[in-house]
Amino acid sequence: MNESIKRVNAIFQKDFKDFSRNIAVSVVLFMPLFVAALYGRMGVDTLDAHYMIINLTFAMVATFVQCCLIAEEKEQNTLRGLMLSPASTFEILSGKSLLTFVLTILVIVAGALLSEYQPANLLIVSLAIVLSSFFYIALGTLLGLWAKSVMEASVIILPVLGIFSFGSFLLPLAEKYPVLKVVEYLPSVQLIEIASKVENGAGFSETAMQFGIIFIWTLAAGTLTALIYKKRMMD
Amino acid sequence: MENIIEVNAMAKIFANQPAIEDLSFTVKRGEIFGFLGPSGSGKTTTIKILTGQLEPTVGSATVFGESISKLKKPEYRQRFGVLTDNSGLYKRMTVYENLKLYCELYGMPLSKIDEVLESVNLQEDRKKKVSALSKGMTQRVLLARTLLHAPELLFLDEPTSALDPVNTRHIYKGLRALNEKGTTIFLTTHDMEEADTLCDRVAFLNKGKIQLMDTPDQLKKRYADGTMTVELKNEEKVVLSTGTEDAQVLYEFMKNGQVATIHSNEPTLGDIFVKATGRVLA
Repeated sequence: MNESIKRVNAIFQKDFKDFSRNIAVSVVLFMPLFVAALYGRMGVDTLDAHYMIINLTFAMVATFVQCCLIAEEKEQNTLRGLMLSPASTFEILSGKSLLTFVLTILVIVAGALLSEYQPANLLIVSLAIVLSSFFYIALGTLLGLWAKSVMEASVIILPVLGIFSFGSFLLPLAEKYPVLKVVEYLPSVQLIEIASKVENGAGFSETAMQFGIIFIWTLAAGTLTALIYKKRMMD
Repeated sequence: MENIIEVNAMAKIFANQPAIEDLSFTVKRGEIFGFLGPSGSGKTTTIKILTGQLEPTVGSATVFGESISKLKKPEYRQRFGVLTDNSGLYKRMTVYENLKLYCELYGMPLSKIDEVLESVNLQEDRKKKVSALSKGMTQRVLLARTLLHAPELLFLDEPTSALDPVNTRHIYKGLRALNEKGTTIFLTTHDMEEADTLCDRVAFLNKGKIQLMDTPDQLKKRYADGTMTVELKNEEKVVLSTGTEDAQVLYEFMKNGQVATIHSNEPTLGDIFVKATGRVLA
């Protein structure tokens, strides 16, 4: 166990150093913060606005940064080196996700401070955000394993950005186009649902369904990622 | 001596094209085994199969006495090292930072970094960013990385292909020292001189099949034409048989003080490869 933690920590530290020198990717951290500061100064204080920033952070930081980190490892042939080391699949994927997780949470907290978002139940909202971040990081890993280069990663992230960050904007059209009802089940929409219920005094039991849906998304993305990773271990 | 690698009737087929066919060989613990062949002969495919990166289409292989399917387990990865043409380094990080990561992954003390950098002649470059290194220096850092955990078995795919003669000799010295400490080395190369210098045994691979396998000395004896070249002091060169029929001629040259040099006309491994396969190594 001790060895395992050391390996995860080694990959995390390596990623931190490498990322801090990668201006092209690290600059995306400022995008959600810029929007949050803008909303805060404009006095925009709706739940949809706050969660637009949070979902943007998920897409730009959790998914995009993770996707780039993994795609770059593939492009530079360094992922194979990790795969051939004694580090297990769990240790490599955990180590590779830890930096993105920390960055995602830091940007969400900083964004919430800048946009002056104060949830009615910090514990429930925090848990929902942590669970959602696992989904977006798994999605980023999956796309990174799929992309052949960082350039390709920055293109395939666009649909993710559209669907998961701005998917909730399609909800008003769901009555006219029933196919869009599927949007209701997006993790980003479920997260807004949790936040909305919490504002009306709901607790864990009233939000269990939304947590369950986000958990299913996370489990599906995590399982698929592990399968694709195992496949990528072989030529 | 115990076999560390055993390969039985192994083949790998890509899109109906065999990369290797009916490959059978063993590598003994403690030896340096050379897998020689031109580009596209199946050397890298064999290494990938033996390190669990590729599955054979037919046949089987064992490494450390276990089926190669078990090599995916971390405890086996601790025991071998691999350097192939698709190994990479983190370009924004320094040489030291790259090696530190692998020291920590293999649970080795950081003091090993200086030791391996010395063995590849890069001790002065530890603070350099990888992006600033030449191709040869990058290759040496990759080699240093595979040496960090002093593996029981080392797979090296063309390890000196990008190196100058001075550094190549330095690497040979390091590899021999590692081998003397007990590391078995499976080396692929198309450099016959390298094979002759380093390998205890060699296998000639051509179009996915092993054509010849033996020690370099035995192969040279087998393919020797039984002649020697005597260079006389008047610069005349005389080819004599190494048998008894020319003994008197040689004796006369020596008795009269005419001999400048004598060379046995044994073939190089490159000559033997051409004779055995009809192909030139490149």
